[in-house]
Amino acid sequence: MRVQTATVPGRTMSESGTSREAESEAEFSALVREHQSMVFGIALNFLHDRASAEEVAQDVFLQLYRQRERLESPGHVTAWLRRVACHRSIDYVRSRHLERRISIEDIGERASVTTPDDPMLREKLRKLILSLGEKAKMVMILRYQEDLDPEEIARELEMPVRTVKSHLQRSLALLREKFGRALGEKLG
Amino acid sequence: MSRLDDELKNALRREAPPAGFEARLMARLAAEPKRATGLTRWFRLPDLRMPLMTRLAFTAALVLIVVAGVRYERERQERVDGEAAKEKLMQALRVTGTQLQSLHEKVMASGERTAGE
Repeated sequence: MRVQTATVPGRTMSESGTSREAESEAEFSALVREHQSMVFGIALNFLHDRASAEEVAQDVFLQLYRQRERLESPGHVTAWLRRVACHRSIDYVRSRHLERRISIEDIGERASVTTPDDPMLREKLRKLILSLGEKAKMVMILRYQEDLDPEEIARELEMPVRTVKSHLQRSLALLREKFGRALGEKLG
Repeated sequence: MSRLDDELKNALRREAPPAGFEARLMARLAAEPKRATGLTRWFRLPDLRMPLMTRLAFTAALVLIVVAGVRYERERQERVDGEAAKEKLMQALRVTGTQLQSLHEKVMASGERTAGE
């Protein structure tokens, strides 16, 4: 994302410098608005804590601001933000030893038949995903939040495609087992 | 697409950050030190946010260079002083040699005169 600005004739150096800065900050603001839900979503789904997710998301955007001249295209910015959000979320958990050990048994079965967009079911699913290992959890977030295929996830997380597929299969098998009855129908 | 996939997409959907997120971010940005541009980028101080071992290695190399430089300069000065002393000695020897030669010639001349008489 190189900021291409031309010096306005008749302006002094400091005026055009200030103008460039303002233009650069406006461009950055637009980028924040465009990508904030992706970055914050990744952090929130991974950390399950809004304050921590905001801290991570802000750090990601600050890093983007510092390195904005190295990023060439909007596609590059999206991929960069996604990758940095993933790695920063993982680092955040590791640095603060926040890994929440939620046992599958702690997440109770629901007897009632669920309805689409059931907030309780949503919360239950999120808790179950939270109980997964950090890599498996991030694979699920990139698959279902970002709609990436296993090859793209492998690239983002720098792991073999086979490992990504294996994480997906194991996590989905666990969820099917846990939610098969709650959903009241045969899944997958 | 199974029902579970739909539920997962719903559970893990993107979420907007809390209100004021952008304002808080821009405030943090305003507190950031300004980036060096143009000529100032060439003259800015080196980025010192480097690992401890790198910093130690850098400091050790710097100390080594300074110590080696001081020793080299001292040795060079001693060599220059030695050369100057040697030159002075040679000059003194040359002067002494010339005086001795002159004296020797005078003595010889005086001896020849005495023998003639």
